[in-house]
Amino acid sequence: MTVGGLQGLVVLAVFVALMVGFLAVNQRWPAHFRRIPAYEALRQAIERAVEAGERVHVSLGTGSVIGPESAPALAGLAALTRIARATSISDRPVVVTTGDGAMAILARDSLRSTYQEVGASELYEPTSGRLLGATPLSYAAGLPAVLANERVSVHVLSGAFGVEAGLAADFGERAGLFVIGGSDDVQAQALFYAVAQHPLIGEEVFASGAYLEVGTMHTASLRAQDFVRFGLIVLILLGVIVRTLEGPL
Amino acid sequence: MRVLRLSAIWAALALGVGLFVLLGYFVDLGFIQNFRLTFLRWAVLLAAAALVVGLANLLGVHWRKVSLTEEGWIYSGVLILSFTVTLVLALVFRPDGQAALFIFNTFQLPLESSLMAVLAVSLLVAGFRLVNRRRDLLSLLFVGTALMVLLGTGPAPGGAEGPVVIALRDFRAWLSQVWAAGGARGILLGVALGATATGLRVLLAADRPYGS
Repeated sequence: MTVGGLQGLVVLAVFVALMVGFLAVNQRWPAHFRRIPAYEALRQAIERAVEAGERVHVSLGTGSVIGPESAPALAGLAALTRIARATSISDRPVVVTTGDGAMAILARDSLRSTYQEVGASELYEPTSGRLLGATPLSYAAGLPAVLANERVSVHVLSGAFGVEAGLAADFGERAGLFVIGGSDDVQAQALFYAVAQHPLIGEEVFASGAYLEVGTMHTASLRAQDFVRFGLIVLILLGVIVRTLEGPL
Repeated sequence: MRVLRLSAIWAALALGVGLFVLLGYFVDLGFIQNFRLTFLRWAVLLAAAALVVGLANLLGVHWRKVSLTEEGWIYSGVLILSFTVTLVLALVFRPDGQAALFIFNTFQLPLESSLMAVLAVSLLVAGFRLVNRRRDLLSLLFVGTALMVLLGTGPAPGGAEGPVVIALRDFRAWLSQVWAAGGARGILLGVALGATATGLRVLLAADRPYGS
């Protein structure tokens, strides 16, 4: 095993230990996260959509499920279970679109199991998790039809996006929808910041589970994430100081 | 009870396969590497099969719209027709044959280029909308930076060697290489931690995207 491999395993082991540790102390030491206005607005928008009999659309992006870009879409799937639960009392269940066939299957599985859990299996439709297009731009081109024909009022974008992020958010904005967008790609985040009403910056897209109260493990993992981040910041600062002191020597 | 057992089996399978693939990135042992490569090859095959399932689902959605003559059914009809024609031509004359290339170069490429042009206009409008909607320091900074980068990148009317052009070009380089690169690294660090946490949740079966 290389030194780098060992370091990676140690970091992962620390991460897992922190997640389990924070899960254990969650009752006694509850988490207090900073406000993310986009998620607060999303909760209200979902409530309004349910009351008005309108639909929530969740886009899981155009990334493949087997690539490194699958992480934001997996976070989106976790949020999807919460959104599906919240909209299960509505006549119009949530609709999910993606640019990857495997992700569409996962979306359908998540919807089916969530509706079964809340005793609303009749809401599940095989067409509610769809592959819109096999390329990023063909996916974006297919979005306006979904937004217009499915009576969508909330447009949630959580997944891997490239430049098509700008189009995907803009189609929602033009239709006057509530638009929230997050991605792992820096370029897509900049596009969301410019176009979407409620952009998610940095790792905020991965915090959806904790902020939408999907489960205690989501809260624990977000705390672990913050803990490791502070550790990394301290290490980076130490490195800067050491290199600065080394410089003139 | 049966459902519970089945979900435990799926979770155990996901955990086992995930652990082997993850370990393969860190541990250089022959049998772990073999397992990792085998699982990844299976994943690629499954993803290809999932694409076929996804396309069948896409056709099903549009077929239903055509048969129920729902709003916009004509576009669904065009999609089904073009899908069928492309599929048949690619199967008969091979995917890299002249017919498939003709379709790609004549239809898909110009359409996707047009979408990129639409994106340029959309971003311009979004810039104005952003200043109008979120009139705070960050938004003004965002739009101001975008304008400076555009000015420093685009062609100048007085030639490329004027003092103003050189100053703008240097300022753009300083913005993108110092501030933007530094900010992007910070964001990517957070994204990496978020992705790790998401992956570990799936590995620990706290998140079950394959259904519970």
